[in-house]
Amino acid sequence: MKKQTFFALLLLILLIPLAACARQSQQPAAGDVEMTLAVRPDPPAVGDATLEITLTDGEGNPIEDARLNVKGDMSHAGMEPVLAEVEGGAGGVYQVPFRWTMGGDWFVTVDAVLADGTTISRRFDLAVAGNMGGMDMDTGE
Amino acid sequence: MSRLPAVRRPDLLRLPLLGALLRWRRGRLVFQLALLLVALLIIYDGLTGPQIAPENIATVAAWLQYRGLVVLALLFAGNLFCMCCPFTLPRTLARRLSDRGRRWPRSLRNKWVAILFFFLLLFVYEWFDLWASPWLTAWVAVAYFAGAFLLEAIFRESPFCKYVCPLGTFNFAGSTISPLQITVHDRDVCRTCPGKECVNGSAQVLGCGTELFPPQLASNIDCTFCLDCARACPYENVALAPRSPLQELLRPDAWPRRWDWAMLALVFAFTALSNAFGMVPPFYELEAALAGWLGREEPGLVLLLIFGTIDLLFPAGFGLGVAWLSRHLAGKREPLRHTFTRYAPAVMPLAFAIWLAHYGFHFATGALSIVPVTQNFLLDHGITVFGRPDWTLSALLPLSWLLPLEIGITLVGLAGTLYLTGERAAHLEPEPDPLSAQLPWVLLFLAIALAAIILFTLPMEMRGTGFMD
Repeated sequence: MKKQTFFALLLLILLIPLAACARQSQQPAAGDVEMTLAVRPDPPAVGDATLEITLTDGEGNPIEDARLNVKGDMSHAGMEPVLAEVEGGAGGVYQVPFRWTMGGDWFVTVDAVLADGTTISRRFDLAVAGNMGGMDMDTGE
Repeated sequence: MSRLPAVRRPDLLRLPLLGALLRWRRGRLVFQLALLLVALLIIYDGLTGPQIAPENIATVAAWLQYRGLVVLALLFAGNLFCMCCPFTLPRTLARRLSDRGRRWPRSLRNKWVAILFFFLLLFVYEWFDLWASPWLTAWVAVAYFAGAFLLEAIFRESPFCKYVCPLGTFNFAGSTISPLQITVHDRDVCRTCPGKECVNGSAQVLGCGTELFPPQLASNIDCTFCLDCARACPYENVALAPRSPLQELLRPDAWPRRWDWAMLALVFAFTALSNAFGMVPPFYELEAALAGWLGREEPGLVLLLIFGTIDLLFPAGFGLGVAWLSRHLAGKREPLRHTFTRYAPAVMPLAFAIWLAHYGFHFATGALSIVPVTQNFLLDHGITVFGRPDWTLSALLPLSWLLPLEIGITLVGLAGTLYLTGERAAHLEPEPDPLSAQLPWVLLFLAIALAAIILFTLPMEMRGTGFMD
């Protein structure tokens, strides 16, 4: 049994540091850019919505002229994500037309490319209320 | 070697190329290594990749691809995933390292342990939101490797596959309606075979890990499709033959008259319902109501109450109640076990149909998402040749097709179950059961089918929001 125990322990020892790792591309970029998200309607519910993303620098000044890629994923695999892009952002506020296609837990990931080429990524977790319309049968069509 | 049997039935093992590959001593290893690669990817990406389920290979491969493909394989072929199971690779190593240890305890040589572990996996899946956590999904895969390794190192036969593995339990149950089964060409060859290598193994090939004797096989339960029996047979007498999907459940001797086997059939049916129930609004309402009733928000306890009731108490309660009523209406004086084991297995086509409709739905809505997930994984590792991920790739079929398909599949399963009910009533005993004896079972099966159809028509809301206002 000593050999089996050894192999089992070796496997665990090899896996534990792996568990502490995160791939470089998944780690949010550092910086003093502040990004906030507000949703309308609030609380969010299945159907059309607007995401209001605000970008400010470390001193609270608005950041304009960034390009934002927004990706809404549900907490489970297998659902087509909701994608959106927006530019401009007068006053540092970016209005993004969006659509919650199903009730449940959502992750909204916002990747922003600032005018100077700096990139920033933030993830926001939201719970979207369902309704009896349920699953949006028009999704993807 | 002196006596090659005449080929009397179609046999996939006799097909050119495929047959040779399946019978090749390393044939299974080829398939296992392919799935081992997938399992290692699941562990690696689950532990190090993006912790967003739709973007991670662990969650997409385990909870979407695997489950969809496994029901399709069971429907169109058989227990292919046990055949290709990578978890048994370290098991084989453990077997060689161990000294052919002790026997699995006699009191545990039944399906009760398997039912318990099957329930536990489904419960843990709900409790810890495994579908939403690549990290936990990776650790589930690690636990599988460790469990198979440890049990094989300690015990002589393959108790992990036969008595413990929840995935195997699902596959065994589902494969009872599969169109392929291990059998033999000539029973006389087996009768006079001195070595019984199919079970005992030979110098080159292990015998059947779950200790099945091919000429006596009437059920796919406990058969992992490893084909070690075919490789070990010196007479090439073992066949992988097509059969009617209902053949096994029509045969009176296919299943032993055991409580555990029959209960597995009903648990398989009720877990199919509960697994779908966990995704619709009434589940959340019940969850919130129970939390209020208990006076505290403990998801684990609430989920244990809900799923313990549906998965274990309902099969036992409804099954025994319906069996008692059935026996009473028939006016028979037989052990309740006989009535129970006569009818409960008839639920299998319906139960499998509900699983197929549910898992098939998710597979149809998201199967293609593995493409951008894999592209993203490769990009993260500097491989750009496959381009940037197209996250809009997701559905295999138009969503508007899915509800009719789900209902249609359920109704086909129900038809199979009702046919089996009548046939088992008429032919399993010397004296046929009257229609009145079938009635309680028919009503139970209709209720299960109706519950499934109602569930499929409800809007799906994903989990995790049960306690939120």
